[in-house]
Amino acid sequence: MDDRLSKEEVLHVAELARIAISESELEKYQIQLKQIMDSVDKIKEVEVDDDQMLIANWSAPTKLREDVEGKMLSPKEVINNAPRHSGNYIEVPVVIGEEA
Amino acid sequence: MKYLNKSVLEIHELLKEKKIKPIDLVEEAFENIENNKELNAYITLNKEEAIKQAKELEDKEVDNILFGMPIAIKDNIITKDLLTTCASHMLENFIPLYDATVVEKIKSKNMIIIGKTNMDEFAMGSTSRTSYFGAPLNPWNKTKISGGSSGGSAVTISARDLPFALGSDTGGSIRQPASYCGIVGMKPTYGRVSRFGLVAFASSMDQIGPMTKNVYENALLLNAIVGKDERDLTSAEKETEDFTRLIGKDVKDMKIAVPNYFMSDIVNEEVKSAIKNTIEVLKNAGAIVDYVDMKYLDQAVTLYQVIALGEASSNLARFDGIRYGFSKENPESIKDVYFKTRQEGFGTEVKRRIMVGAHILSGENAKIYYDKAMAVRAAMRQEFKRIYKDYDLIIGPTATTTAYNQTDSLDDPLKSFLDDVLVNPANMSGLPGLNVPVGFDNDHMPIGMHIIGNDFEEAKIYQLASFIEKELNLDLTPGGEK
Repeated sequence: MDDRLSKEEVLHVAELARIAISESELEKYQIQLKQIMDSVDKIKEVEVDDDQMLIANWSAPTKLREDVEGKMLSPKEVINNAPRHSGNYIEVPVVIGEEA
Repeated sequence: MKYLNKSVLEIHELLKEKKIKPIDLVEEAFENIENNKELNAYITLNKEEAIKQAKELEDKEVDNILFGMPIAIKDNIITKDLLTTCASHMLENFIPLYDATVVEKIKSKNMIIIGKTNMDEFAMGSTSRTSYFGAPLNPWNKTKISGGSSGGSAVTISARDLPFALGSDTGGSIRQPASYCGIVGMKPTYGRVSRFGLVAFASSMDQIGPMTKNVYENALLLNAIVGKDERDLTSAEKETEDFTRLIGKDVKDMKIAVPNYFMSDIVNEEVKSAIKNTIEVLKNAGAIVDYVDMKYLDQAVTLYQVIALGEASSNLARFDGIRYGFSKENPESIKDVYFKTRQEGFGTEVKRRIMVGAHILSGENAKIYYDKAMAVRAAMRQEFKRIYKDYDLIIGPTATTTAYNQTDSLDDPLKSFLDDVLVNPANMSGLPGLNVPVGFDNDHMPIGMHIIGNDFEEAKIYQLASFIEKELNLDLTPGGEK
């Protein structure tokens, strides 16, 4: 069994995770991600009697709250938290025609 | 004059009798923190605001036991107008616009927030060394790790800076540093405490809990932070209860299970021996202690990796460099904003976990890994439920070793997961768990016992823990009683 992922495999998961990686990081991740993925892989071998799933430890029925107006943050406060903003708008580079 | 090394009950009496004022406590806390500066327990101090608040409290009636008490908050719990970094470059300058529910609750008790504690970046790690601001140090020996991820909270309590701290626990992050630092730490039942305002790591397991120097004070703080919250759908609808109510009761006829796996050869001999001694104490007091076999405990690490990393990759997608937090300058495209912000904003451990999580959840893998993990998780919870038909509580060591050297296994991507092998089954199963100190190894580093209860049975855990605390009567102040 290989002790590392291929460069393409690392670049693929980095693309999924929306993280850029440098050449030096790439080499490190080839080994480290492989180590974690091998460990994760062991889940396949675990035997269970039935395939009932437990998504979260919480089983209370969903209850809707009253539809009443609550306290809200002002747009100004929220916009001010954005790294790049102008007036009541958040600034981003051109999106239309770009792939993200 | 020193007050903060007294019990909370004593401090409360002094406040009530007006012999001291909240400002005395606040000033002492900041003095302690300054003296212990090299422990690096804090990322941000709330000095100005804390002093202001303490002075305002002077005219108010001391109406509850937590009134005027200094408290430290882990830096992944958001605090209005007070820097909340998650120990990450990504949130280095992030000032929240509102308070977490637990913060609202402690403020309503007129507790005073002293500062925000150091931690592993986004709570990912078991040593607090992944912090962007450097690792906190263990007060028992500064060359040792504090444990993590709630390392700063454990350190400040252990060093006796102040009486109360909040941590968060996704896979052991309250209990394991509590064990390494010789304090009491409780991860409540999933749903017991609102997660609103806790920066999400793995939402199906994250839980906020109290960290204190003793059991009684731990229960007091839990009393203050529990309850249904409309802003957290998963918070539980439960009657309020007093978690101190069983403290002081004996443990005669209490039925306790010790899973054999928890005492297997994965655990260090000195740790095992301290646990065995404590088991003898319990037996002598009339408790029934049985060793039991439990399936799936040995799968905890693998299971945790799938669930926690999958959920983390989804939760941390929100850090996009657009709405808040760090953003890489001069992006050329929208893709550039995302990719370069996340490359530079996150540390190595966080990036590793997000990438593996993204892999686990992508395409066919979701079925192969995630669905399977959900099934194993259901089976593990059933195993716990089977034991609780016959037993009140489950015990074992909290960690396989005592705190290790700051320089050990820094680059091993699996070590941080293995450190939590004994504690993360409680997160997977939603059960409450607590660390109580039970002894020391040959280097005088603390050893902790883990007590796991059935759903919503925190009070019973406190009963056993307080009994152990009283019987063992350990000196838990690093460097001895001052």
